[in-house]
Amino acid sequence: MKFLKECPILIGIALIAVVLTVISFACQGSVYADYAQETDISKVPALALVFKAARDEVFPWSGSAEKMASVEDPEPSETGVLEDPAASAQEDSTDSGAQSDGTTDDQGASWLYGDAGAAISGNDISGNAVSGDDAEPETYEFTEVDDDYFTDALFIGDSRTVGLSEYCEPLDERATFYSKVSLTIYTVMDKEFVKTDEGKISVDAALRENQFSKIYIMLGLNEIGTGDTEYFFNAYKEVIDRIMELQPDAIIYIQGIMHVTAEKANGDKNFNNEKINARNEAIAQLADQKKIFYIDMNEAVDDEDGNLDKSLSFDGVHLKASSYERWYEFLLHNAIVR
Amino acid sequence: MVNFSDLNFIFRFLPIFLIAFYITPIRFRTWTLFLGSLLFYAVGDIRMLPALLAAIIVNFLFGKAQFAEKSKSLLFFIFAIDAGMLVEFKILGQFVNSSLLPIGISFYIFKMISYQMDVYSGKIDKEARFIDVATYFSMFPQIVSGPIMRYEKYCENPMLDEDKSRDKSILALIEDGLRYFVVGLAMKVLLADHLSMLWHDIGTIGYESISTPLAWLGAYAYTLELYFDFWGYSLMAGGIGVMLGFPFIVNFDQPYGSGSVSEFYRRWHATLGSWFRDYIYFPLGGSRKGNLRTVFNLLVVWLITGFWHGITPNFILWGVVLFVIIVCEKYLVFKVFPDKLGKVIGKLNVLVLIPLSWVIFAITDFDMLAMYFSRLFPFFSQGVAVNDNDFFKNIGIYWMVLLPGFVLLIPKIFEFWENRRGHIVFNIIWILLFWFCIYSISGAAGNPFLYFRF
Repeated sequence: MKFLKECPILIGIALIAVVLTVISFACQGSVYADYAQETDISKVPALALVFKAARDEVFPWSGSAEKMASVEDPEPSETGVLEDPAASAQEDSTDSGAQSDGTTDDQGASWLYGDAGAAISGNDISGNAVSGDDAEPETYEFTEVDDDYFTDALFIGDSRTVGLSEYCEPLDERATFYSKVSLTIYTVMDKEFVKTDEGKISVDAALRENQFSKIYIMLGLNEIGTGDTEYFFNAYKEVIDRIMELQPDAIIYIQGIMHVTAEKANGDKNFNNEKINARNEAIAQLADQKKIFYIDMNEAVDDEDGNLDKSLSFDGVHLKASSYERWYEFLLHNAIVR
Repeated sequence: MVNFSDLNFIFRFLPIFLIAFYITPIRFRTWTLFLGSLLFYAVGDIRMLPALLAAIIVNFLFGKAQFAEKSKSLLFFIFAIDAGMLVEFKILGQFVNSSLLPIGISFYIFKMISYQMDVYSGKIDKEARFIDVATYFSMFPQIVSGPIMRYEKYCENPMLDEDKSRDKSILALIEDGLRYFVVGLAMKVLLADHLSMLWHDIGTIGYESISTPLAWLGAYAYTLELYFDFWGYSLMAGGIGVMLGFPFIVNFDQPYGSGSVSEFYRRWHATLGSWFRDYIYFPLGGSRKGNLRTVFNLLVVWLITGFWHGITPNFILWGVVLFVIIVCEKYLVFKVFPDKLGKVIGKLNVLVLIPLSWVIFAITDFDMLAMYFSRLFPFFSQGVAVNDNDFFKNIGIYWMVLLPGFVLLIPKIFEFWENRRGHIVFNIIWILLFWFCIYSISGAAGNPFLYFRF
């Protein structure tokens, strides 16, 4: 009792520290298994696990089912999905020469159409192979549009898209934005952040209520450290499929993830442009050139080495307010009109 | 780990060290503190440990010679060595590689100079033992960013003295130090680190694109960030000192309650201000050699202050601006103007000019600095792609740290707590506050103190 009177704070803190440490060790094999794996106890006190988990709303009393829901499983659930489109594109590339040549010539020397051209050929042919339909499939070309193109457009994205909404007035006046800081492809559909008169709803719910003609998506930087490319691709595909289901008439633009500056990328095992490019190549495969198109705005903001130009960014990740103009110009010049 | 808000420091180094310190027999406690401090420094930057050790030995030997026979030339010699070492490392750190700037060099060199001056002037009259001098220079609570404690305060520690330590309760000391530590931790982790995000966000937008209200909000947010970062750090350092038996060193004494800029700098980072006063300003003659000489002395002090904070031109500009304000206050505002008007202007200087001076302190690039000021005062130019809603957007995000930040500027609040800090309600709140800080730290990548490398 004398001690308690003399040093109540010390005792309070020490007791809680002991309890948390015990909990942390006790639950290392169960609730905190994922956290224990990614944390080196020799470098961080054990009780940090409790707090790390609590941030994800995982508590000692959380059941294992709950845990699975709130922590992303870094293991890809399916294997081999990624190979399929790539393989079919390769196989068919010889046959598709004639068709794709025409497209490429029309489009001129623009850097943009390289990826799109390759994907067009692959998909067109595989389409033919599956359906056996000999009719010339309709292809679309990227053209220039004016501001009003975006009146019925929706933008979905993370902090970078938030920046676009805040610092690109012509877009903000016309388009709709479902964007949120630190949004990921894993949380985009279910997180309730879209503001309505009746409160916040999920993108999924919002897309059931509102129809858009164009939907632009840029996601993928926040989750770049989560899972591998294939896992990311699968999640992305799931989102695109769901959007297609909800918005059958919309043109969907998959935007390649914007690069980071060389300085930011240097030495960072996750936030580097090789990793971004790998993921961009993967999601580009989702484009079918009919309803889903892949566009990559990096060419508008990169330096000669393929990194985000450092004069356009203060923190190496986000564009400065005055640089969003470039992104917008890119969108204006790379639109699909049906 | 050399960061007091690091989990390894809080849960590993500090408790283990405290136990080791207090189970050591009193005669050898100073050694425990010295070795613990070397370990602490080595974990932070082992490459620069030899520089610290060399400086300790050289300064001890010069001090020893000075005890034997007072010599002005000896004092100048060691002063030149210490100052030269500081200047050299600052230049290396700035122009070659920032990792070449040893941790805490600005602080331990200032302690060393202060020691030499005090030995020469006779303020330290009893010849000091090597272990005491070495521990005073290197003690881990103060090595990284001060406070620049005087040697006489170091000697006041009863826990290092076999006769005086008997009637002291170790636990009571730790408890009281912990109170200061927790409040400092909260200021640093909950306020300063979050306010720094607002300042960072403004950079992300780009200074050319912020609205004028946001530019002002940014200036005040940075002002608050700097205050709570360094006051918080000083409270933590002071608190750890108290845990070890040292007197609590007041480094920040409600500076924003000051009535003038010169008063502000007696109450802001007070151990640095009094260092400049005692070891630069007074030896130059202070204000006793006529007005012209006083102005010159002030200029010297403020140029060195600017240089000490950093050697990019903006710090020199920052020092010069403060010099001009202080001279204006001294010879115009408080001399020529009527009393009441003078008081109002003095207050305004603290509440408006000081935040503006921090903007100069914050932005090292002159073009960007000019851009920021053109947004603060948008008379001559317009911004690019400005979003006029940015002010309210950021208020919406950051009000939870801005509001307590502004409230804590009121001098009475801290005093109220300090006078009643043993109350049970505060005890409970402090336990909760501590764990809330830990929750916050464990989720965020810790960004180091602003004054870390100074």
